[in-house]
Amino acid sequence: MTVALSVRGLHVLFGGPRTSRTNGTVSESRLLVNPARSQSLIVPAGYAVGLCDVSFDVSGGECLAVLGESGAGKSSLLRTVAGLHPAAGGSVHVHARDVSALLPEQRSIVYLHQEPVLFPHLSVMENVTFPLTIRGIAKAVAMRRAVEWSDRLRILNVLGANPSELSGGERHRVALARALCADPAVLLLDEPLSSLDPAVRRDVRSALLAARAASGAAMILVTHDLDDAMGVASHIAAIGRSGDLSVPLASSVIVNSPPSLDVARLLGVFTEIPGAVVNRNGVPRFEWIGGAIPAAGFGEGSAIACVRAHELALGPTCDGEQPVLLVTARREAPHELSIEVQSEAGSSATLRLGLGTSVMPGDRVQCTVTNARLFSTV
Amino acid sequence: MRRLPGARALAVILLTTFALSPLLMLLLTSVSRAWFYPALFSPSYDMTAWTALLLDASHRTALRNSLLLGVLTAVASTALALPLGRAAALSTPLVQRTIALLAFAAVALPPVALGIGLQLTVLALGLGGSLAGVLLAHLVPALGYLTLIFLGVFLRWDTRLDEAAATLGAASGIRWARVALPLLRRPISDALALGFLVSWSQVALTLLVGGGAVATLPLDVLAMLQAGQDQRAAAGALALTIPALIVLGAARVAARNTSVVVA
Repeated sequence: MTVALSVRGLHVLFGGPRTSRTNGTVSESRLLVNPARSQSLIVPAGYAVGLCDVSFDVSGGECLAVLGESGAGKSSLLRTVAGLHPAAGGSVHVHARDVSALLPEQRSIVYLHQEPVLFPHLSVMENVTFPLTIRGIAKAVAMRRAVEWSDRLRILNVLGANPSELSGGERHRVALARALCADPAVLLLDEPLSSLDPAVRRDVRSALLAARAASGAAMILVTHDLDDAMGVASHIAAIGRSGDLSVPLASSVIVNSPPSLDVARLLGVFTEIPGAVVNRNGVPRFEWIGGAIPAAGFGEGSAIACVRAHELALGPTCDGEQPVLLVTARREAPHELSIEVQSEAGSSATLRLGLGTSVMPGDRVQCTVTNARLFSTV
Repeated sequence: MRRLPGARALAVILLTTFALSPLLMLLLTSVSRAWFYPALFSPSYDMTAWTALLLDASHRTALRNSLLLGVLTAVASTALALPLGRAAALSTPLVQRTIALLAFAAVALPPVALGIGLQLTVLALGLGGSLAGVLLAHLVPALGYLTLIFLGVFLRWDTRLDEAAATLGAASGIRWARVALPLLRRPISDALALGFLVSWSQVALTLLVGGGAVATLPLDVLAMLQAGQDQRAAAGALALTIPALIVLGAARVAARNTSVVVA
């Protein structure tokens, strides 16, 4: 597969041109954004660096999911790649052609808003054929293409309707069909699933998968939901608090081995166990209130272990050496169980477990960690 | 709250009577001869006032001037106010407030004060007493009204439509023709109608800037009234309402099935 989208050293500024004047001059700052390349960025007054030195590639037919907290710059990343938001630095290449200086309509990049934006004065068919008719493609050919995509995305029955008559899921699928009719090299999806109820969400997710399989376009899906990311994307990356983008990794890889604590937290599937790495007889171990696990290669100091629900087991007290924990609270969520435990010394921790775990407040248990990812917090 | 039976119907009847009774009086007066108080009805009826209005060359000139000024004011003020309102809506709040204030001033200033100021300006431009000078004067309040209208329209405009069209490959001209213009049909129709009506009913500015050299239908009606020609003045006043009603009706028809898209 060839690289369809290549983003290099992209910087995006947030904010507006508010002039804060000091001694009569507009104050601006110079920020070293890439020490390795001695690359710096001039940040005008009133602006802040939103995304910093972001680089990644997406091949045709692949989908990269970008995770990040609200306000992290996920949408700004997409809007900048689409040419709807100015970049402060860096470049965007589509099929090896630098499109950084081109207008949005010249980039072959289609951007889909979080809420599908359909043209209200056009019928669904006219909406779907819009990218073709504006290029002067004959109406019959345009309609044939529209019907093909509409068939794949299961909206044939609404082609004669007006956008105002569509349900939420239908609106998403129509917007997707219209985008695919444009035959884009890159398709940018800005949280298309976030505001949908579970049934419509599944429906739109399957439409996205169908689109990914059939179009050959490189896709970027912005989301804050790991299920959506894993359900649609082949790779996942995360925008950190400092505006950097982690290296895209295959979905299964990033979930098993998140590259940083920030990414692990964004994935939202781990129990975070605070503790410390200590060296006992030359063997580093991560010790926490529930016991200890090997920490080869880690220096001494405070650390956090990230553990998935199935890697944590609670059992009755039988091992004399292992600390005993008192279960103080239990909360059930749809997919997991969350319990509060307390050590004899009074320290407490929250553990996320599988739903099958049958512990109740007041129980005394011992905890076994079968696998963990350690991150130093020193 | 419990409504009194028939209260709504009574309110509608009263309002309709209130709105239509002056027009009815104008109609009766325009076809009545020697109708004086306390006679309940006119002793005789004829169409002389209407015939004179239609056949008199000076009235026809006034009517032509009024129509020409109305159409030109409508088109020019709409063409200027639309980009002005859009630019204002996309500007900073300070610029928005400044433009809104200026537009409101053109509407809210007393017509005599505005007229004297415009008269001096038009005279300085060498356009005093000309149709072009009167057109410039009519443009000022019309532009004020329409800029306020388009500022409101574009403050509510969904800019994502433009973004969606752009990334689908539509260049700015296509976006304007295929997306923005169809959705703006209603405010544009309203603006054209309002621009026409502002000019059509203008008296003070026409009188001050035209200096009596530019005849329009409202000025003719005023002159007939001052001369005691009540029957002809009534026919002229009624004639003034006809194009206004046609323009309003046409604006509604043109705007059918369109709406401004709100973000």
